Amino acid sequence: MTIQSLVEKLGLKPLSTFEDREIAGVFVSDMLSDVMAGAKSGALWLTVQTHKSLVPAANLIDVAAVLITSGKAVPQDTIDLASKDQIAILSSELPTFELVGKLYALGLGNT
Amino acid sequence: MSLCQHRWEMDDVQFGFVAFERCFHCNGLRTFFSLEPTPVIGDEYREGQCYWSRAENAQSFRFGLRCSRCGERQTFDELMGLLFCTGCDAECKVDELRRQHETAGSWVLVAFGFMDREKRASVPEAKLEALADYFNQRRDPSRKQVRLVSYELIGDFSRCEGDFLHDVGMLSLQPPPPRRPTFESRAADIPDQETADDDPKPR
Repeated sequence: MTIQSLVEKLGLKPLSTFEDREIAGVFVSDMLSDVMAGAKSGALWLTVQTHKSLVPAANLIDVAAVLITSGKAVPQDTIDLASKDQIAILSSELPTFELVGKLYALGLGNT
Repeated sequence: MSLCQHRWEMDDVQFGFVAFERCFHCNGLRTFFSLEPTPVIGDEYREGQCYWSRAENAQSFRFGLRCSRCGERQTFDELMGLLFCTGCDAECKVDELRRQHETAGSWVLVAFGFMDREKRASVPEAKLEALADYFNQRRDPSRKQVRLVSYELIGDFSRCEGDFLHDVGMLSLQPPPPRRPTFESRAADIPDQETADDDPKPR
């Protein structure tokens, strides 16, 4: 499944400009260290973290997209940095738990 | 020299904290890795003329790499973290490299060793190459590659506004305040030397 098709299926709000690509699975964590240690290339990363340092962490691991849950406001500098690197920052009002359920129902699993 | 085309895997992962201590007497900064379960900010102690105080605990992890083909191991006990260059100083060698590599389709992070007052630990070039190989092996090879450079290329630490890839404020129930630049000049915080020698009390 691509980022764009996921945006349409779940009504997600894209905040940054991004290059569309395949999503390989899902990784959930609010800690950069967890992501750096455990996430895999192509993952959709669910988090409530919005600090701009999530962008280089996502870039380092080559995650496909970052999905900010619970409608957390994302600072403009985070969005600008992600757009510069063409990393998708998506947003949803839904909490992480509900989103994980919907992603699982769509056939996405752990990376 | 090994002929193995290493295939690195992360090994011996330990989650903990990078502790940042400052001395209000000499304005020194030092860092170390801590496995404390609940590190305390503001924890103070005296060491000679210095009064060290824990300024920040950043959640992080330490790890090694192991080659799944030949079993060779690399440890990274001296690695404090990776810093993301924000392009704050156009005269800085790191920023120059960052711009060059972005054009060439790769992406630069700065590897820092732990710091001890005056000196900072070096991360050997061979280890930086192994670590960059590891991250690049985890990535889709058709996308940008990661290049790691040593912090020793930073021209002026007092002007560096780079962000460490650390988790800060994760133990607090309150939203964390903006993180102060790690190397910002704190000349105003440095006590007058004579006064400090006479009366080195915490303030």
